[in-house]
Parts: sequence; C-alpha cells; structure tokens
Amino acid sequence: MPTADQALDVAALRDQFLNVVFDSYELTLSADRLVAYATSCGETAAKFTDPQHADFQAPPTIGSSFQPKQRFPKGFPTFHGLGMDAGKAVAPDKPMRAGVPILVQTHMHDIYTKTGRSGRMIFFVNRMTFSDEAGILLGSADTSIVIREKPQT
Amino acid sequence: MILDLHAHSVKSDDGRAKVQNYCQWIKARNIGIDGFVLTEHRQFDDQSNYDDLAEKHGLTILKGSEVETEYGHVLIFGVTPALQQAFDFTNIHLPLAEVISACEQHGAVAVPCHPGRKRVGMAAHLETFGVPEGVEIVEVFNGGSRGDEDKIAQQLAEDQQYMGIGGSDAHIVSHIGRCATEFPVDIFSQQDLVCALKTKKFKAIKLAVEA
Repeated sequence: MPTADQALDVAALRDQFLNVVFDSYELTLSADRLVAYATSCGETAAKFTDPQHADFQAPPTIGSSFQPKQRFPKGFPTFHGLGMDAGKAVAPDKPMRAGVPILVQTHMHDIYTKTGRSGRMIFFVNRMTFSDEAGILLGSADTSIVIREKPQT
Repeated sequence: MILDLHAHSVKSDDGRAKVQNYCQWIKARNIGIDGFVLTEHRQFDDQSNYDDLAEKHGLTILKGSEVETEYGHVLIFGVTPALQQAFDFTNIHLPLAEVISACEQHGAVAVPCHPGRKRVGMAAHLETFGVPEGVEIVEVFNGGSRGDEDKIAQQLAEDQQYMGIGGSDAHIVSHIGRCATEFPVDIFSQQDLVCALKTKKFKAIKLAVEA
C-alpha cells in the first residue's frame, strides 16, 4: 500500500475513489441474531424480540453492526498522523427481516477536510448500503474516520 | 436585542446539538439571549427552516456560515444564493480577500472568528500574510476559547480598530449563549442582522451561564 505525502491531494483522492463499490457480500440474518441484537440494545418491543410476531424485524440501527470485509479500497494510501473514529450514522429505509438475503455494499461516500487548532484534518466517510434481492434499498450506514495530520509547526 | 452569533447544529459534522434542543435549553435555563445564528461549517444550510421553532419559543433563529480561509475561520452573515455561487464554501483554502469581496458584492458581512486561536485564527497568520484589507469586525468573545485566545482577539481588535462581536461557538446544547452580541435594535431576519452589523452599533458580551 502506498504511503501518502503529508500534504495529501484530497481532490485527486476524491476523483479516484469516491462512489466506487470496493466491498460487497451477501448475508441473511437469522431470527436468533435479530433477537440477540435487539436484546443487547435494550429493545423490549415484541416486533424486535419475538420471532413469532407478525411484524418481526430488525431494530432500525442494526446496520451499525455490519462490517465491510475490506475497510478501504485497494490502492488507497495510508496516512501520517493520528487516526480516529469520527462517528457513525445509520439511515434505515425499510425493515430488514430474518431469512431475507441482503446485499451489503460499501463505497467511499465522501472525503473532506477541515482545519482546527491542531491543523488540517481529513475525513473519510464510507457508506455501506443494504438492499434486498429486488434491489430495493433497505438502509445505509456511514462510518467516518478522521486523520489529523501531523502539524507542520 | 441579544443574539449569539456563532452556533453549530447537527448540520455541522462536529455539531451535536439539535436546534430544537438549543431552544428548549435557552428557555429552561433562562439563558439571556433572544436568539442565535447557526453558522454551520463550510456550508450554508439551505434545507432547514426554523421559523416554526422560532415562533414557538419566541426566539430569533437565523442562518449564516463559517468558512475557512488562509487567515483562519470566518463567519458570514447574510448568505444569499448568489453569494453561494461566488465561491466554494467547502474549500478550506479560500482566500480571505475573495470572501470579503464577494460578501461586499452580495450584501453580506464577513467576520473572522476566534482570531486569537492557534492555526484557525486570524492573528496567527498576520506575520505571514500581513493585515488583510476589508476586515471591519472580528469575534472578540468566543465561547470555545481557551487560555488567552480572547485576549489576543481583543488586542487585535484594539490594534486594528475593529468592531467586536461575541458568539458561543456552541456545538453542544449547554454551550449556547456563553457569549453573544448586544444590538440596540430588534433583529428578525438575515437582512436585519446585516444592517445592524453594518451600522456598527453593537457590543460583544460574555454571559454568565449557570452550571
């Protein structure tokens, strides 16, 4: 994997990597997994905890528990500086249900910069999308990572 | 009228406060401000309309922006669609002269914020770039300032004869109203705010906020 210069060319990275799916797999959620997830979140509603419920489904935040098999696209540079988790945002669209195959795809959704007391920070936002066999979007989950570049002064 | 001229909501990537919760907090804690301006980072929030919230809570809620230049961060009041076309708000290397010129052309006001702050404040860049032309107002009270950052800002304002505003720079609910700006007139719109800033009749204040 190449090593990036300190003054990273963000525009070039955006051109090369944004919106290209770099990770894709299919999963099928079991009823047990849905119940375990719901219980660990403290859910008590029967539609999340009782597989016999007519509207049994995953809690809307379940997308936050999925992980890509690969965190960055192939050829993506590594960075100098301090890397930190910069948050997660889940956007549920339609219910995910047990036994339904779900296509999980990840692309780099955004790369942006900001400046602060400590210098320039670069944010990388990976978006994981979930869709059913008909290609209908069930939701998405964004994971942001921030790299604080080593200050020059 | 007292307005907190510098606040961020969840629309900013590092903002953790919902506008509704700012309103509730101001009322519940009896914070001594009549409203606030949402200056989201590197953008102007075209989508949100806070008129109902403002009416419900009896507050003035306006929108501005905080952009990034070679002199550090700059608040913009009076953002219009035309101004948004004049330069790229997301660019963190905006030339301050370009921002000021565009603001003048489109009836907006540019105000370098937290100018005493390391790296992202104007004072830190004067030695490298010189005193910029066109600056008339700077933020002299910032609720997020550490150490002597506000003192440096006030000294800069005194040296350069800038007017000073105050803003909390709140990113979380409990920080709203820490600093603000007092105007002798009522302000209900962006235009009112721009007019009030241009008349230069205002003063920065620091509010005592209960813990």
